Amino acid sequence: MIGRVRSQALETGKFITDWMEHRTGIVTMMEHFLFEPVPKRGAWLYSLGSATLFCITLQFLTGILLLFYYVPTTDHAWDSIYYIMNDAYFGTLIRGIHYWSANFLLVVIGLHMARTFFSGSYKAPRELNWIVGVVLLLLVIVLAFTGYLLRWDQYGFWASVVGMKIGSYSPFVGGPTIHFLLGGNVTGPATLSRFFAIHVWLLPAALAPFIGIHLFLLRKHGEFGSEFEYADRLAKLHERQRLESYEQYEEEEGEPYTGRRDRADRE
Amino acid sequence: MAELQKDPLTRKDFLGFGILGTIVGAILTIPPAAFILGPIIDVDVLGESDVPSGPDDWFEVGPISDVPEEVEPKYFKVNFPVEQIYGKRSIQEESGTSDESFTVPSAIWVSWKHENLPDGRPGESLRPSFLDRKSEGFSESERQEIQDALNVLSSSCAHLGCPVRWITREGEGEFLCPCHGGIYNINGEYVAGPPPRDLYSYDFEVREDGTIYVRHQFNTGGDNGPQEPYVI
Repeated sequence: MIGRVRSQALETGKFITDWMEHRTGIVTMMEHFLFEPVPKRGAWLYSLGSATLFCITLQFLTGILLLFYYVPTTDHAWDSIYYIMNDAYFGTLIRGIHYWSANFLLVVIGLHMARTFFSGSYKAPRELNWIVGVVLLLLVIVLAFTGYLLRWDQYGFWASVVGMKIGSYSPFVGGPTIHFLLGGNVTGPATLSRFFAIHVWLLPAALAPFIGIHLFLLRKHGEFGSEFEYADRLAKLHERQRLESYEQYEEEEGEPYTGRRDRADRE
Repeated sequence: MAELQKDPLTRKDFLGFGILGTIVGAILTIPPAAFILGPIIDVDVLGESDVPSGPDDWFEVGPISDVPEEVEPKYFKVNFPVEQIYGKRSIQEESGTSDESFTVPSAIWVSWKHENLPDGRPGESLRPSFLDRKSEGFSESERQEIQDALNVLSSSCAHLGCPVRWITREGEGEFLCPCHGGIYNINGEYVAGPPPRDLYSYDFEVREDGTIYVRHQFNTGGDNGPQEPYVI
């Protein structure tokens, strides 16, 4: 009875898998994602990109949740965050994840870049992936900057003033950029609206397609050489090792290697 | 790529695409760009975070009798209102929308100017002596004398805009910026740290009753270092 149920379940599973594979190719894709050939040395370092993607995904998810309570006006912004932190169910957890994962995101991006740099993964044909990555880095930095003001507390307020004033020293574009961000001549309601629009809509919308391009290029060239190239190289390596072992046999036994079976027969 | 095209691109086609492309591109990009760039295009557009700063927009700070005689500034808080009305003012009033406006609370440090001794310490106060006898009903020349002897300084550090504080230690004081350690003396003059210039001072006037009024604008005259950029 149990055996029959088990075999039926197996068959159903196999049917569903085949059906999906035939129509979307998702099984092959998952195999590529999950069984990526990477060099044994420093293999964990190759997970930093996934860690970055994980942090960004967390930002999107918790950000959507925070929007249910956050009010982007000068008289309610701080109060609404106070409510999230003190009264809303799991508010501390949701906002804590948003806050800490934003911090870790920048750290992980830095490590990811360092790994790419030191392993030379930015070289041909992956130059564009590096450039797209830099665009992503800049977007994330501006996201971090605009998110800080939304708290509308002393930290966020003065950090934004300092940040904008640093920007205002840029030649030619400094002044207009600051006017664009401030929406006037003081940090006021229009500033908060603008930062909110940039943080919640403009930059995430810009971020998503660039992540897509980044992943597409990664898939195209593979994490560590193209996968086919890698399999090819692996086959060549095995072939070479085999030939070497023949030579060794010849040296040791003083006769050419003719296969195991022959040897066993002789004995 | 070019050999994939069935017909080669003629000059006429090219110009046609160019003109059509420019028109369509302009229609698609100009409205959204102008929409969000409003504050750069027109600085006085309604719905911005703007404090009125016309020639007659004076805001009260406080009486000069509160300013201490010693080497010490007095802190005044001024709530500059932000003019932010969407649509027509008359409709807003009629519909009874909240007329509580957003204000920008700003700290203003007021002190008497002091002479600078060669060793950098503050010397004699320039406070007019007639203030010991009277505290209101000043004549035009007396007002001018008071205005020449007053520091009305913005608390916004000339470096990156953090609010400075007056710190006293062992009887000597200085303005210290908490962010990067900019230091100014009682007159708001640069002493040490990263700031490129002195503290900004407000446009101000003293009226007959001895009250200080400021405009939401910095007095950019004189040689205090680079004037811009600044954040009020």
